[in-house]
Amino acid sequence: MRVRVVIAGALAVVVAGLLITLSHRAPRDAGSDHIVPAMFAATLPSAGQVCQDNPYLPPGAATAQILVGTYGKPVPALQLRFLDPSGAVVSSGHLPAGAQPSGTISIPISPAAAPGDAVKVCLAVAGHAKIVIAGLGIPPDPTDEYVNGVEQAGRISLVYYRAGQESWWSLLGVLDQRFGLGKAGFFGDWTLPACFVLLLACWVLVVRLLIRGGAETG
Amino acid sequence: MTGAVRVLGRLRGQLGRVPRAGWLVFLVAFVNAAVWTAVIPPFQVPDETGHFAYAQYVAETGKPPPQGPAPQFSPQEYTALANLFFFDVIGHEQERGVITPAEQSSLQASLATGPSPVGPGGASSITNQPPLYYALAAIPYWLSPSNNILDRLEFMRLLSALLAALTVLATFLFVRELFPSLGWAPIVGGLVVAFQPQFDFISSGVQGDSLLFFASAATFLALIRAYRHGLTLRRGVWVGLATVIGLLGKLTFVAFVPGIVVCLALIVWRSGRRSCGGSAVASGAAVGSGPRAVTRPRAALGAGVAAGVAAVPVAVYGLLNATAWNRGGPTGGGFAGAATAALPGNKVITLRDSLDYTWELLFPKLPFMNHAYFGYSPVRQIFFDGAIGRFGWLDYGFPPRVYTLAQDAFAVLAVLAVIGLWRSRRELAAVWPMVLGFAVMAAGLVGAIGFAGIRYLMSTGLPFEQARYLFPLLAIYAVFIVLVSRAAPRRWAPALGAALVILAMAHGLFAELLTISRYYG
Repeated sequence: MRVRVVIAGALAVVVAGLLITLSHRAPRDAGSDHIVPAMFAATLPSAGQVCQDNPYLPPGAATAQILVGTYGKPVPALQLRFLDPSGAVVSSGHLPAGAQPSGTISIPISPAAAPGDAVKVCLAVAGHAKIVIAGLGIPPDPTDEYVNGVEQAGRISLVYYRAGQESWWSLLGVLDQRFGLGKAGFFGDWTLPACFVLLLACWVLVVRLLIRGGAETG
Repeated sequence: MTGAVRVLGRLRGQLGRVPRAGWLVFLVAFVNAAVWTAVIPPFQVPDETGHFAYAQYVAETGKPPPQGPAPQFSPQEYTALANLFFFDVIGHEQERGVITPAEQSSLQASLATGPSPVGPGGASSITNQPPLYYALAAIPYWLSPSNNILDRLEFMRLLSALLAALTVLATFLFVRELFPSLGWAPIVGGLVVAFQPQFDFISSGVQGDSLLFFASAATFLALIRAYRHGLTLRRGVWVGLATVIGLLGKLTFVAFVPGIVVCLALIVWRSGRRSCGGSAVASGAAVGSGPRAVTRPRAALGAGVAAGVAAVPVAVYGLLNATAWNRGGPTGGGFAGAATAALPGNKVITLRDSLDYTWELLFPKLPFMNHAYFGYSPVRQIFFDGAIGRFGWLDYGFPPRVYTLAQDAFAVLAVLAVIGLWRSRRELAAVWPMVLGFAVMAAGLVGAIGFAGIRYLMSTGLPFEQARYLFPLLAIYAVFIVLVSRAAPRRWAPALGAALVILAMAHGLFAELLTISRYYG
């Protein structure tokens, strides 16, 4: 009886903690261009523009986050465009001058009907200010950035976020899909629910074991 | 053939003696570890890239890597790593791997180009290890119905999950031998290990440590059984087998050898002074008659068998290293790497330096020690916090308040364990020589960590230690939790144990949620 009461109490605390954790709302990741903001990798002069290939624009992206340095000045107006192979705009965003302090800034972008079509991203400074953008100073290769049309050895970092703030509950469908990617081929959308069921079975078995083990002694 | 059948029959008989609760704990541990293998993205367990490369080389060529100045991984592994964005994800908590269908398509397309699974076997921090884990991992590699590297990796990870479950089973049986009259104790001890999240995290990857953990728990079990029931020839074989699995599994296990020798010597010393003396513990199915069940000459023979079973395969391995495999000497460079790491300015590390460093791993620097090696407390910030959870390539963990809370909770548990130790004095007094031997084993492990750690620090300037390096002592951790439970009055002890198991399970569950948010959120 003692064991049962203690287990019931402990499980109630765990379930409460789980509900609180999963209900926490925050901006959720949509993806990135897989470039780490390790250094300032691009310097844009006034009215300059940096473009690079492979932006990895994911479905559901509502903002693009970049790390910007402005030499102590306000962030100028910025224009972000994702282009398909023909040069048509797949998605775009605009940040007014002075809207956010320098550092990590978020540029709202329009929903993309076919984000996978985006093969190039361009970021343009609309005002008269020099800025630097974080990314990686990778060795020269075909994925290099172009600043005002001139190739430079580096890539800027873009991190995409979904719209608004979401709890883990509302993200379950997305998590379920992501959980099956980048792994063994036999994994898929079924994997996360299967893991949940297996863990639940483990918990049930453990509770039975503990009750039985306690009963033998207590 | 008849001999093999007889051995299998005996093995089945031994396994048949494992109680049903033990198998259920084993099952829970395996399923839980298997779930972890699905939660962690490929290659995100520390050093999994190198461990996989070693196993793939063994699987593809039938021999350990030659360790030349060549690429460490196969072209197939390099392709997978690049398209999983591995090098962007590790060390960068905000980075994710493959999380969109487009990235998945790109990954599949790159692997479909058929890059070679055979690499040159270039030297890495892993290749100087002995090959047993990698030879075992080669089995699921080839049993995989697909030759896709990620499919193979998952099957190999399930081997690690199986070894984790065996570690838990050995821990269950070890605790059962120590506390034979407490039916709940092995269940509690086994389950807290089964749900230890850092243990599960490491055991969810292709990682040689999983065999080390199993061999260590099996060695503790084999030794306590040899003490409890007498060191017969058969029990000598078990001690030898557990030891040789460890020695051929990971070099770290060498640190246990002095302690194992002390244990065997104490068993022989305590045996046969009179026949079949009674144990201090007088009830319970697993209670043995103590080391005196076997005469001293027979026990000495058992110890000799243990030494022989352990030594012969190790000698063969050394011979193969030096001859057939051309790995630069009998140890395959394993010890040389630890002992002669290139130090800047031809600095020499003295024995005193090593001892000071090892002391400071666990305790504050004493006035007569020359050098303060740490500006922090390794026992708290590396070993304790690491056991609470430092995941990925040490690139994510719980919020800081969780570690503070855990430290406070542990302080309470430590006090309770002292009370439980007092209440368990009769059981533990009955096995005091083994307690002494196990202490030597633990000291050997800490010494080995210190020996390697100071050399690594001096040659690279980086800290060496990780919490998992203490996980060969998981069986002792299980005993600690049982002692905590015993601090409660007798009828409440199982309830306190149950609460600690639920706490361990919750710890594991939240670690999994943390991991899901890290890689998929």
